[in-house]
Amino acid sequence: MTAAIQLAVGRRETVVRQDRAGTALWFLLGPCLAYLAAFAIYPLLYSLRLSFTDLTAADGTGRWVGLQNYRDLIVDPLFWNAAMNSAIMVFGAVAIQVVLGTALAMFFNLRLHGSAIVRGILVLPMLITPIVVGVMWRALLNPDWGLINWAIGALGFDPPNWLGSIRMAMKTLILVDVWQWTPFVFIIVFARLQALPQDVMEAAQIDGAGAISTFRHITLPLLMPAIAFAAVFRAVDAFRSFDLIYGLSYGGPARSTTTLSFFSFQNGFEFQNYGYAAAVAYMMLVILMVGTTLLLRHVQLRSAHAQ
Amino acid sequence: MNTKGTDPRAGTGISRRRILQGAGAVGLSGTMMGALLGQTRPAAAAGYDPKRYAGTKLSILMTGDENDHRALGDLLPQLEAETGIKLEITSPALGALIEKTLQNLKADRSNFELVEYLGFLTTQQVGGGYFEQLNAYIDDPNQTPPDWDFKDFIPGALHNVGIYDKKAHTLGQGSDVYGIPGLHSGSVIYFYRKDLFDAAGLKPAKTWDDFKAAAQKLHTGKIAGCSFIGANDFSLAAVDWYTRFITTGGVLMTGDANGKDFRPQVNSPEGIGALQMLIDVLPYAPKNVTQYGFAENVDGFSTGKIAQMIFWSTIAGPVFDKDKSMVADSTGTGPVPAAPGQKPRAIQGGWGVGIPKNVDPAKKAAAWLALTWITNKASNRYAIEKYQIDANRTSAFSDPALLKQFPYLTDSMQAIADADIIPTARIDEFFQMNDTMNVEFNKALIGGQDAKTACANVQASWETILRKAGHLA
Repeated sequence: MTAAIQLAVGRRETVVRQDRAGTALWFLLGPCLAYLAAFAIYPLLYSLRLSFTDLTAADGTGRWVGLQNYRDLIVDPLFWNAAMNSAIMVFGAVAIQVVLGTALAMFFNLRLHGSAIVRGILVLPMLITPIVVGVMWRALLNPDWGLINWAIGALGFDPPNWLGSIRMAMKTLILVDVWQWTPFVFIIVFARLQALPQDVMEAAQIDGAGAISTFRHITLPLLMPAIAFAAVFRAVDAFRSFDLIYGLSYGGPARSTTTLSFFSFQNGFEFQNYGYAAAVAYMMLVILMVGTTLLLRHVQLRSAHAQ
Repeated sequence: MNTKGTDPRAGTGISRRRILQGAGAVGLSGTMMGALLGQTRPAAAAGYDPKRYAGTKLSILMTGDENDHRALGDLLPQLEAETGIKLEITSPALGALIEKTLQNLKADRSNFELVEYLGFLTTQQVGGGYFEQLNAYIDDPNQTPPDWDFKDFIPGALHNVGIYDKKAHTLGQGSDVYGIPGLHSGSVIYFYRKDLFDAAGLKPAKTWDDFKAAAQKLHTGKIAGCSFIGANDFSLAAVDWYTRFITTGGVLMTGDANGKDFRPQVNSPEGIGALQMLIDVLPYAPKNVTQYGFAENVDGFSTGKIAQMIFWSTIAGPVFDKDKSMVADSTGTGPVPAAPGQKPRAIQGGWGVGIPKNVDPAKKAAAWLALTWITNKASNRYAIEKYQIDANRTSAFSDPALLKQFPYLTDSMQAIADADIIPTARIDEFFQMNDTMNVEFNKALIGGQDAKTACANVQASWETILRKAGHLA
């Protein structure tokens, strides 16, 4: 009898404890879930619904057009132009940033005198808002009164047509993106570099490995996870980049720097084709999801293979 | 609404215009007139009480890209003193203004009782049914100041921003009023350097051949023979190409915007010819003209680096401002050049102000009273005198004091009177079509394609847009 009562009480206490734990769980998770629902899930679902309508400025709700916006996108040369520009920007900018960022990290790892101060200055560009970076560089590169053109001219050279030529504008955009975001790669790689086990390096030196050989066969493989993280993070960021383009080149000339983000912005906020703009944004989301998954899987496979 | 015949309200009391004209005639300065106006009560009429809505707080959403908000900001204390209405100004740049306007127009309740909208957006915003019809207010002597004088608004400006036929979905047709021209109107005029032209024995260009010949003759290492909007900018198509196009006989659209036959004529000989004219004067333009937008041209002209150009008349403000311009005394104006046998004319620009339908109903009448105040003759005159903003009232152009002070007003008035409402402004897709044109034309100017290809690309792109929107079968 006593044992039965004790068992019953024990069960009740367990249930009460579970209830309390459940309440606490909801109490703690609730605000986060509410925040996610309001500011992430609802906008995502709303814009998804929007992408199936032909909502424009003069239209209050928009008609349901199913997949028409997506069908239009597939045959829209402007969409493919923007997709190509996004790809060029992502691969161009991230490749240079990874190489430069890693090189800088290796250089600062030599712990030269005064490197701490230089390191601090080096990361300043990434603290500036991209729109400000865009406007600032547009002024610096102004063909009539820009400081950089003046300096190049003073040295006796003919300055390039930074933002006025179809062939040059994307290169300029990549250059400015590299200027701003190489420090990000540098910081990630440098942090990893500081944490590398020194005994492996010393063993390599004892075995007679030179600096290049040590870097290639030991340092670089050990740095790969950090480099991969920085590259994926930067690729996603560069793919979404809008404000820099808005401030620097406004997608021109002749749409040579119009990326998917800018294309979506133009359709949504300049032409008020909200449905079409939402479809572009969702295509970007799909591209990002597929691209990021493939990239991460590739990196994981390489890491596993290396190990 | 009665827009013809004798206005029964005319002549009652002492009108602001008469005070201003009188003051101008005896040489009173703008400051003194401001003081005089501050002491002048609006003319009283039976039932109209300017203080009826005293204590009401209103908000206006307006452009921050031009000087309109500055002029209105200066006048707010006077508005409050005369009407007791406290008006708050929100003035973002154009892009943000459009977005904010649309958000407010589509919301259950607009935060702004007054909204200033670009004339090119009248079809989108007024045609979308978002603005209150104003005829009842205009015709009500209890609601409208007797000296406000609706008939004084420039007809072209009124048709561009105020009048809309909802049944026919047509801008500028009928007599239903949804917006009041303001805070400025405008078109395109010809700016040239009198000193350079005189020294070279040239006369201001009357034809496009004259324009090119003058550009050729006046071009030096330091001064460009001419300039234009060469960047991928709204005004490349709207000002420089469109002016050349219509003044050489071009017709932009055929058919009906509400039918299925609204067909562009961009790749017509006139269309290609207009773009070719711009390409042909590239050697006499500033080196980087393909990156020149609004600001670069105004700066270039004001600092004496450009001999001639056609431009929005609204830039008269900075160009004739002696504190900001090095060529204020040596600049002349005239009508835009035109091909022989063609009338000089250009695009109709300007803004309108309306009352959104979804504002607090209790504030609509107060909003109307404030709207009549900010668009009255004295306010318009102040804006012209202080900021050289383009007028939206006919009386401003016949004011002897203003004309003496700002001779360009004569050309500005004529330009507005003869201006052409660009046919693409009759549909919602205006900005998208304009953008396509700017991109392709800019590409032609930087050598990426020839004029014929650029016009063919625009033609194809416009047809696709029009088909998608249902304006072309």
